[in-house]
Amino acid sequence: MVFSIGRVCVKLAGRDAGKKCVVVDIIDERTVLIDGQTRRKNCNVLHLDPTKLVLDIDKAASSEVIAAAFEKEGLIVSASTNSKKPSDRPKKSKTVKNIAKSEKK
Amino acid sequence: MPRGMFKSRTLRRVFKRVPSGSTKLHYIERKPKQAHCGRCGSILHGSPRTRPIDMKRLAKSEKRPERPFGGVLCSACLRDMIKVESRE
Repeated sequence: MVFSIGRVCVKLAGRDAGKKCVVVDIIDERTVLIDGQTRRKNCNVLHLDPTKLVLDIDKAASSEVIAAAFEKEGLIVSASTNSKKPSDRPKKSKTVKNIAKSEKK
Repeated sequence: MPRGMFKSRTLRRVFKRVPSGSTKLHYIERKPKQAHCGRCGSILHGSPRTRPIDMKRLAKSEKRPERPFGGVLCSACLRDMIKVESRE
C-alpha cells in the first residue's frame, strides 16, 4: 500500500499545502493520521502526494518522535507548525492605567 | 433630463421603491471583475467581488482562502505546482 505507516508525503490542499508530513496511523481506506511539518490531523489520501521516502516509526508515534525522525532526514520541523499550547499564546499586556492602579493597591 | 455625469453608463441604474410608493432611479457603482487564477484564468472561489473600500473593511481571512497562493492561484493549479516542485 502506498500510504503505509512511515510514508513521507507532501500536503496538497489547505493551510498546510506544500509542507511535508508522515503517515502515523491508518484510520480507514480513505483517511490517514498525519504529523510532521504540518499539524497532527486526519487527512484524506487524495490531499496527499506520496514521496519515495519512508521513515521507521511506530504506529501512532508521538509528535516528538516524529520531529526527531524528520530531523535525521534533514527536514526541519519548527515549533510554530504544531498546534499552539495555551501558555504560548500572547497574553494581554497591562495598559499604563492598570499598572498604575495595581501599584496603588 | 438626467445630469451630464449620469448620462454615461459608468454607473449602474437601479429602480428603488421610495417610502412614498413611487419608484425612483438610483445610480450605483458597478461591481469589479471577479478574481481569476494567474495560471489558468479560471474564476477564483472564496475571494469576494467587492470594491476596494469594502475589501478594506473585511478581515484578512475573509479576503482570500487560507492556503499558500490563496487568492492568486486556483487550488488545482497549486496542486500541480506543488507536485512538480516536490518531484524534482
